[in-house]
Amino acid sequence: MRSRRRAMVVACFLAPSLLIFIVYRILPLVWNVVLSFEYWSPLHPATWAGLDNYQEMLQDDDVFWQALWNTLIFLGSQPIAIALALGIALLVNSDLKGATVYRTIVFLSYPLMTVAVAIIWHWMYNERGGLINYALRQLGIIHQPIAFLDSFAWALPSTIVANTWQVLGFFMIVLLSGLQNIPLHLYEAARVDGAPAWARFFRITLPMLRPSVFLCLVIGMLNSFSAFDLIYVMTNGGPGHATELLITYIYKQGFVSTRFDYAAALTVAQFAMLLLLTWIAHRAVGGNAGAIE
Amino acid sequence: MRKLWWRHAALIVISVIMLAPFYWLLKTAITSENIYEYPPHLLPVRPQLFNFVDVWYLIPFPRYLFNSIVVSLIAVAGNLVLNAMAGFALTLPFVGRRSVIVLLLSCTLIPFQATIIPAYLITAHLGLLNSYLGLALPLLSTIVCIFIFKASFDAVPRSLIDAARIDGLGEMRILLRVMLPLSTPAIATNIVLSFIWSWNNFLWPLIITRSQDMQTLPLGLARFLSYMEDTTDALYAFVVMVLAPGLLVFLMAQSAFMRGLTTGATKG
Repeated sequence: MRSRRRAMVVACFLAPSLLIFIVYRILPLVWNVVLSFEYWSPLHPATWAGLDNYQEMLQDDDVFWQALWNTLIFLGSQPIAIALALGIALLVNSDLKGATVYRTIVFLSYPLMTVAVAIIWHWMYNERGGLINYALRQLGIIHQPIAFLDSFAWALPSTIVANTWQVLGFFMIVLLSGLQNIPLHLYEAARVDGAPAWARFFRITLPMLRPSVFLCLVIGMLNSFSAFDLIYVMTNGGPGHATELLITYIYKQGFVSTRFDYAAALTVAQFAMLLLLTWIAHRAVGGNAGAIE
Repeated sequence: MRKLWWRHAALIVISVIMLAPFYWLLKTAITSENIYEYPPHLLPVRPQLFNFVDVWYLIPFPRYLFNSIVVSLIAVAGNLVLNAMAGFALTLPFVGRRSVIVLLLSCTLIPFQATIIPAYLITAHLGLLNSYLGLALPLLSTIVCIFIFKASFDAVPRSLIDAARIDGLGEMRILLRVMLPLSTPAIATNIVLSFIWSWNNFLWPLIITRSQDMQTLPLGLARFLSYMEDTTDALYAFVVMVLAPGLLVFLMAQSAFMRGLTTGATKG
């Protein structure tokens, strides 16, 4: 009797949250897959399309390949950001005076609205009023101003810098909490044995940090989706498609060209890529780095 | 000693780089110079606050602000109630508890952006396009925050809960009278995280709002940029006004925020 009432309570307490996750996470996942095998638009009844959407994507759509390549470059920048964050985390992880102040400063950009971050950096890169062109010219590194966001060569790296600026603090905090979980006696033992600093770093710090690094990698991969706000406002995928990411291309196909079916196929492709990369990262960091479990 | 000096130098350089964009934004928002003049002035010329006044005339700022506040309030309230209930349910023993936890954890791997097309169609079927509820609905419960509540409830001594049960308190009363009063840090983290997530949300409102009346602050910002380009420094005053509330919330509840992100992340 009692356990039955308990089951009722559990069901009632869990139901609202589960309903939201089923309706807004799991159902969309399934729906995307179904939609990707159909010809469908809001005014036409669905007809079976087989693999046509995927065939178009892989064989005829140059923009897809460009967006895929850009997304991979974007993802490739995440390990660099994580390495930078690890450096900063090691610097502030001590009884250094003012460590919390440095930590706050580095973290400050993370909770900002990404649209605002995009506008700030759009301005930082400006040819005349921007700080970056001004600083580079003052330092004599360049002689002519560069229109970073209008340049095919510079636009993507420039958005990556803006993204790194925003996420660096988050990676730092995750790595810092990982560092603080490493038992100090390991270092003491190593010091007694006469291990030099670099050996302590590679033999103790890095292996013990694996779960945190894995978590950063997963979040970094999800960033390739959440970078939508940044790209949409900074360059809207341009010039040409030089900064087009899969997610901005999905948005354009779905909500600008109203090709929901094709956009669904693109989403399935990006999600599959995300899962594959997560699996690779999981293997690379060493088997049982089940940080999120 | 020498080593400490070196560390401070490195951290000061990093801090300057991290703060430079903030400074440049603020400088542009309050300067009187022609912002397209080269070379730009490093210090604001004749600082003034007129740009902040301009914002009120150039765009429906109060409307954007009101919409953002309404959506964020719905999201925060939803997160508090639903996450606390779900987190509490997960601390009770029941059949299928493990599979529910696995289900929730695997949902964290589905980025919201990957659901936009069906999510839009679902919301359209529900008739909630262009409404406050539709804007807040996908954000009403967050998995990370459920686990933050669960971790906090797990730490409440069992004896206390058993005593409450013996006294005949129902589960709802145990949650309200025993668990929540002992979980203020988790409540703070929930409020801060869900506020910031909903306040900053851009893609979802971009998709489901139809009229300018329903647009939130991030949409207003993007719109301002696209029709003014960056020809006016009022844009930067607007950015400052939009960022201020989020930054204030963050600075006031910094520890709750960071703790939430890392416990949600590393403990799960």
